[in-house]
Amino acid sequence: MHDLTQRTRPGANGTSGPNGTAARRRSPRELVPALAPLLGLVVLTVAFVVVGTVSGVNMSYSVQTLINQSVVIVIIATGAIFIFAMGSFDISLGASTLVAAMVGGLAYNATESLVAMLVACILTAVATSLVSASLAAVFNLPVFVTTVAMLSVLGAVAVALVQTTGGAQIKVDSSFARQYDTLPVKLSVAVAFLALCVFLFTYTRLGRVEKLIGGNPVTARLTGVSMKKTAIAAFAIAGLGVGLGAFLTVLRTPTMTTSSAADIGMNVLVAMVFGGMPISGGPRTRIYAALLGGLSMAVLNQTMTTLLATSSAGNGISQVVRALFFLAVVWVATSGHRSKLLPR
Amino acid sequence: MKISRSTALAATAALGLSFGLTACGGGSDSAAGGGSDPVKMCVLVADATSSEALGFKDYYTTYIQENFPVEFVYSEEVGDADAEKRAMESFIANNCEAIISFASADRPTQIQMAEDAGIYYAVATGTLSDDQYEEFKDYQYYVGAIGPSLGVEYQAGYDMAKYFVEQGDTRFAIYGAGVPYYIDMHIYRTAGMLAALAEEPSTSYGGATDFGAILGKIMQDGTVKVADFQSDVYELTGYHEVWSFDDAAWQANLAAVVASKPDVILAAGTGFAVFGAAVADTGITIGDIDAYTDENGQAMKEGLVGYLAGKFTSSIGPIFAATYAAVEGHPIRAEGDTALALEQGYWVATSPEQFDAFLAGDTIENPFYGKAELEQFANGDQGYDTFEAFVAAYTYVAD
Repeated sequence: MHDLTQRTRPGANGTSGPNGTAARRRSPRELVPALAPLLGLVVLTVAFVVVGTVSGVNMSYSVQTLINQSVVIVIIATGAIFIFAMGSFDISLGASTLVAAMVGGLAYNATESLVAMLVACILTAVATSLVSASLAAVFNLPVFVTTVAMLSVLGAVAVALVQTTGGAQIKVDSSFARQYDTLPVKLSVAVAFLALCVFLFTYTRLGRVEKLIGGNPVTARLTGVSMKKTAIAAFAIAGLGVGLGAFLTVLRTPTMTTSSAADIGMNVLVAMVFGGMPISGGPRTRIYAALLGGLSMAVLNQTMTTLLATSSAGNGISQVVRALFFLAVVWVATSGHRSKLLPR
Repeated sequence: MKISRSTALAATAALGLSFGLTACGGGSDSAAGGGSDPVKMCVLVADATSSEALGFKDYYTTYIQENFPVEFVYSEEVGDADAEKRAMESFIANNCEAIISFASADRPTQIQMAEDAGIYYAVATGTLSDDQYEEFKDYQYYVGAIGPSLGVEYQAGYDMAKYFVEQGDTRFAIYGAGVPYYIDMHIYRTAGMLAALAEEPSTSYGGATDFGAILGKIMQDGTVKVADFQSDVYELTGYHEVWSFDDAAWQANLAAVVASKPDVILAAGTGFAVFGAAVADTGITIGDIDAYTDENGQAMKEGLVGYLAGKFTSSIGPIFAATYAAVEGHPIRAEGDTALALEQGYWVATSPEQFDAFLAGDTIENPFYGKAELEQFANGDQGYDTFEAFVAAYTYVAD
């Protein structure tokens, strides 16, 4: 098998070559798109601070709220980047999160063990994710198709799980959940998972192979890359992210219904794209896209809520402004992609 | 025209910074208003589009806001417990002084969050279960709940079915609305309807004849199964549920229910909105539990709706008064310094004349619960006993 390890060309990416040749510097035309998601987050943060200060918002609580509202999305989206980097598309992330959270909730109710809940969430999510990957591999179908099927199946599973309680909800003891629904717990889980993902995506063969598959699957296959093994690894990592997201979801919202986590799937996609993730995957994939995008979404939502809530048309205007801002950031971030075949 | 990246980035930055400028402008406008700052009350809504919800909002943002120093801030439509929590977090961060909730996915969490943040919290158009009330009744910032209890919901369904039985109708269809979504009030209303029919000796649902067993079966199934209805006297010709207007199968089932030619469609909610067009010129009557709106009034005049148990728009006035009083430092507390738990019922109209009388008596300009009635409680001039009697005075009591 070929060694896919990328060796940095002398002088590439602004570094000096061993022979001391002049480094190639990125032009502003390249830098602006590359930095657009980060600049978007900075602009939004400035707006958030200005609006919050002028409106007398409780900034301390507001920052906690930002973290609370973005951490699950960031975790799930970061895991999902392993799927999207290959040019695949998983539409069942929200449903997977719901089912994993429900199983985790039922596991806690049966055992009253936090660890059992965590394990149940992760195993369910990873298993669900691997079923999608395996179906795609066995039947040689696009992953998107199998995840569409999984979306329906998981919806039915969620209904069945709720019905096991004989009521409308799966409830976990809220005093127990409150005990662990804290910033240190959330940040610990998020930092650990993000560190793992950054390591795997940036410093191991897996990340490079995924980008290669996303950029040109034919070349990847001819190079000897095992598409199935790579896909299964990607889905397993994404499943781990979903499992951890589900675990935090149970702690945050211990009352679960069939409509819980309904908007997670869409929010994950928006967060990734907002963070500069090319939806076609490939070499421009950045593992930090989910973090930037998730935070940007939360800051934008919070700012718009503060700014427009008292207006009678506030919610409508807020959604339009969010959409415009989203389009602007993504347009700038992807503008460089349209002019070249491959990144340099 | 070609838009350069730098132009777009500048536009993005300008858009972001314009938030700040807008906020500065907004601040100036508020300051120019003069007088004391209004009480900032935040309203959590699970339904932002129905005529009933719009009527409630109109009452608060038009009538109450004009007559009391209060500013209402509405949430987006929240569909689940997590959305409720996010909205609550935004309310708390934005310094709301009180929260009135119309959303019920996870009330315990809402109450706990408000208590932790030191913000007054009240439940409108509903009540807590007995267990929940016991858990939260002593909370300092829990104002209480005023609205139909689940017992009232059951009674509303029961009374409606009983009315048509007494009219001599024998062929029924049921519209369960949000039963599969486990919306408690719809389940209790539907169970009430079946319990009323099951009073006839040969009639049962899933072998059950009493309310509790019927309720349990619906809870277990998450739906109503026509095949489980047994009777020598009545016929359950069809059953329909939810609001999937764009779904062909859902539309087909709706048509099938109408084609089964029931005398009456008993609806647990939004009956006319779902079946109104389909039953025109069929002779089928709709019994509905909804709200006193112009649309339902017109339907009753056209004979499409024969029975309406509904909330009236200003029924949310008393909970506002109690919440406002709490913010102003003179909370209305029940015996033992506990939170309010007061029931409100439905008004029932079985003729256009009755309907019009209710509708005309409760307008935004001249509501049943007007400034004069609410002020005495909002200002702390009256205590709990008077308030309880005041709320009960407009409560519908089944005959």
